[in-house]
Amino acid sequence: MASPTNRYDTHISTQYNAELEDVRQRVLAMGGMVEHQVTQAMQALLDIDADIAREVIENDHRVNGMEVSIDEECSRILARRQPAASDLRLIVAVIKTITDLERIGDEAERIARMSLDLAELDAPRGPHFEIETLGRQVQTMLHDVLDAFARMDPEAALEAAQHDIRIDREYEGIMRQCITFMIEDPRSISRVFDIVWSLRSLERIGDHARNIAEYVIYFVHGKDVRHISLEQVAEQLGAESPASD
Amino acid sequence: MVQTKEKTNMTHAINMGAANRAPHNRKLEDEKIALTVRDLSLYYSEKQALKSINLVIPEKRVTAFIGPSGCGKSTLLRCFNRMNDLVDTARIEGQLMLGDKNIYDKDVDVASLRRRIGMVFQKPNPFPKSIYENVAYGLRLAGINKKRTLDETVEWALKGAALWDEVKDRLHDNALGMSGGQQQRLVIARSIAVKPDVLLLDEPASALDPISTLKIEELINELKHEYTIVIVTHNMQQAARVSDYTAFMYLGDLVEYGATDKIFTTPEKKQTEDYITGRYG
Amino acid sequence: MTGAQRESAFKAWYKSGDPWIWMTGGAVAISLLLVIGLLGLIAVRGLAHFWPADVVQASYEVPGKAPMNVLGELLDSELASKSRLASAGLPVEGDKEFYDRYLFKVGNRDIYGSDFRYVIDDWLVERDYPKDITVFERLEWGNLYGWIESVSENGEVVASGEQAWDALLKRQKRADQLRADIEKIEKHDIGKINYALEKLRLERRGLEMRDALNAQAEQDIATQEAALQTRYRGYEEQLIELYGQITRDSVSVRVMTGETLTVELSKVVRVFRPNAMGVFGKLGHYAAKLWEFVADEPREANTEGGIFPAIFGTVLMVLLMSVFVTPFGVVAALYLREYAKQGFMTRTIRIAVNNLAGVPSIVYGVFGLGFFVYFLGGSIDALFFPEALPTPTFGTGGILWASLTLAILTLPVVIVATEEGLARIPRSLREASLALGATKAETLWKVVLPMASPAMMTGLILAVARAAGEVAPLMLVGVVKLAPSLPLDGNMPFIHLDRKFMHLGFHIYDVGFQSPNVEAARPLVYATALLLVLVIIALNLFAVRVRNRLREKYRALEH
Repeated sequence: MASPTNRYDTHISTQYNAELEDVRQRVLAMGGMVEHQVTQAMQALLDIDADIAREVIENDHRVNGMEVSIDEECSRILARRQPAASDLRLIVAVIKTITDLERIGDEAERIARMSLDLAELDAPRGPHFEIETLGRQVQTMLHDVLDAFARMDPEAALEAAQHDIRIDREYEGIMRQCITFMIEDPRSISRVFDIVWSLRSLERIGDHARNIAEYVIYFVHGKDVRHISLEQVAEQLGAESPASD
Repeated sequence: MVQTKEKTNMTHAINMGAANRAPHNRKLEDEKIALTVRDLSLYYSEKQALKSINLVIPEKRVTAFIGPSGCGKSTLLRCFNRMNDLVDTARIEGQLMLGDKNIYDKDVDVASLRRRIGMVFQKPNPFPKSIYENVAYGLRLAGINKKRTLDETVEWALKGAALWDEVKDRLHDNALGMSGGQQQRLVIARSIAVKPDVLLLDEPASALDPISTLKIEELINELKHEYTIVIVTHNMQQAARVSDYTAFMYLGDLVEYGATDKIFTTPEKKQTEDYITGRYG
Repeated sequence: MTGAQRESAFKAWYKSGDPWIWMTGGAVAISLLLVIGLLGLIAVRGLAHFWPADVVQASYEVPGKAPMNVLGELLDSELASKSRLASAGLPVEGDKEFYDRYLFKVGNRDIYGSDFRYVIDDWLVERDYPKDITVFERLEWGNLYGWIESVSENGEVVASGEQAWDALLKRQKRADQLRADIEKIEKHDIGKINYALEKLRLERRGLEMRDALNAQAEQDIATQEAALQTRYRGYEEQLIELYGQITRDSVSVRVMTGETLTVELSKVVRVFRPNAMGVFGKLGHYAAKLWEFVADEPREANTEGGIFPAIFGTVLMVLLMSVFVTPFGVVAALYLREYAKQGFMTRTIRIAVNNLAGVPSIVYGVFGLGFFVYFLGGSIDALFFPEALPTPTFGTGGILWASLTLAILTLPVVIVATEEGLARIPRSLREASLALGATKAETLWKVVLPMASPAMMTGLILAVARAAGEVAPLMLVGVVKLAPSLPLDGNMPFIHLDRKFMHLGFHIYDVGFQSPNVEAARPLVYATALLLVLVIIALNLFAVRVRNRLREKYRALEH
């Protein structure tokens, strides 16, 4: 397996180099922005800060805008350069990654909306601590995944993807807690529901981040590792790596 | 986790279905083999142009040879119908099996071999004769002179080359009056008129405009139901479009050979990767 | 303008490339002028000869001598210096340094001994152009200028004075007809019988030599000979009768010296009165003369009549040469280019072939004489025609050997041109044919050769142009100044390759340098030269047309 280089300066066409590098940089910028959105949304949720929440909602259209423009750039490269092999995989990975990033942005927006709802409800705090933990884990995972994307490092991506399992497990636990809350105190139902929605969003962000990690692996190894368990992925990559040159 | 596993099983089933239907995910191991190249080396005087090539050409599939100029892909193609015999200095080692017969055996009749393995060249090269006579050329060589048979075969070949409707009213005009794309399709008709098993195409569209190129590619797609096709092309996109299998050659070596989908998305070798992505090696 | 300025202006002009255009254009212009000048000169000199000039009657008064009446045509004039004339014994006195001198055709060679004399313009006085002067073109002794006295039939005067002219014309026509009849019998019928008799003689001789002449064969031959002899006697009687008729009429002509000559009409080719002719009359006469020149046989040691046998011989020889040289050259070129392994050997052969093109043609003549005539021809005679010996059949010069000699002479041209043509055929077409299962020979025959045919024609054109103009080698291998019969006639096997033949180039040489009557021959040299050029042009145009058609057909080569 030919390992794709991370450097886009070896094409005979320098323009092509620049275009691919530009796309990559823009994805990273978009990733940074999405990451920031998630952080802000979490802050808004935890501090019940309506201002920050509004800011997050406000900024979502910028994320959407970036998705559209990167998409266009990718279509342009597809049409004009007819990329093959690693270049093709990069473009495919980018197109998919930005979709997931955009979804993450949407989830962040949703969390922000929930925090606005919560701010309007004058009610006691719910299982905040648990959310904070989950939120931190999701943020870490997203950060690691984006980092792996930036370095196009499949091992780091795989490692980051492992977080998703823990996040899923955590999520289920917190969900049970929330249900207990609602049974115990029916007055809190509407508030807890908002929190449940936020939890759901966080869990979704984890899934999207895992997708991105899979795209990194696809880009590097040309293997579609979606829909198979991470153990299998690790196995396959392990079997693969000695052969790569 | 449970969810993931379920998903996996489902998509696996879908994938299997797709593999049976569409010509994707072909595997060389499942194909019937038309030609086998074994340790084939070719020398021009002292210079080695092909270095111990091993590969198989699957039957009724399109196999493309790609690679930079001078990599030996045309030379290899011309080994298949012994066109290299024309070069005095060329010396060949190894075997090239058509079925279970080595075409480089001494008792092989080269003329009849070439009738079984037809060839189309880079530049359209119709003879300065009428369209009809061009197509009938190979037939006449084979000793077919009956007018009815000739008429029928010429029509059949021209239809096979998707040219009949364009030329049926001017069969006896000079072939040189046709456009380049038509000439190339005429040359293909001329080749299939003798009903070969294998059709070798040496950059058949490199001298044509894009529309004519597409017509040729469409024709190749049609022809592969009947013939084993080997195509040499400089145009990687063309190889990607028309071929089922692709061989990448570099400096006389066969670097990588496999299903076209694989070569163009996830090549194994860095040289292949560099070549098809347009990098310097 | 200072010198420096002028220099820089010159430099600028030089740099602009104009001088180059002027130089190349000038070269073309000079070449054109030369060609036009050459053709113009021979055309004017040659064609003017056939125009019926007016006949002048004058008194020629050489100072100190008695005046003399002269009659004839004024031809060329030239300037002669006084000293030259004086050294010729003419009484040139006074201060005139140059005199106009005319070549004066007086005809009547039987009286004067020569057709021509020179006259000084100043001394030719009292010029007159009497309408009733009649010119007689005779089979012998050249033209006769004079006045008709009377026309006689079997010695009896039938017309005289004014009626004589009309009677003469009528009887002349009859004589022409008779002469044509006689010629037909002599040339055609009796010629045929003689040819058959000769064959019989050879047959008998051949049988004798093989000791196979038995009584039966002898009898057969004798019977056939007797039959031929009978037929011959029949023709002989006809001839005697015709001769009797043709000698019937005669005309009495008074010439300038006052004598009266009696001329048999059978000896007169043409009578005309140039001074009485209008422009159209003269044009008609001109056309008739021109036709005679092209279509008739020569008379009077080639100084009169036509040159048809020479045209025929030239064309036939060139055609035969083409038939020999084309296949041979093409085959040789094919081997050199297609089959031979390119290397030292082929390079050497190519150099040798190219050098052959530079060998002087007379060398080929010597080779042809030695190899073809003496060796090949001698062997053929010994093997196939022993009965005719010691008279050689093929062992002497003939049209076959001449064409073969020229074929060798032009072989390099054909080989080189064909090789060029073969080299220019795109590889892709050969490969296309081979890839369709053609063998090399099939490819050559069906694709390569047809496409190389324009180049072969080019070679042939060059060969024809060279061969038609060659004279020197032909003199050794079969050309004669006067051939008794054409190499192509009605006797089996129709084409007689062993016969000697006439050739325009040699005819020019012969008429120009070997003729006893230089003044009469000179215009014919020009006319023949013009005709030679026209024949070569015609042959070339034909070949060029063929080539262009082939080129059009195989124009794949052009892209």
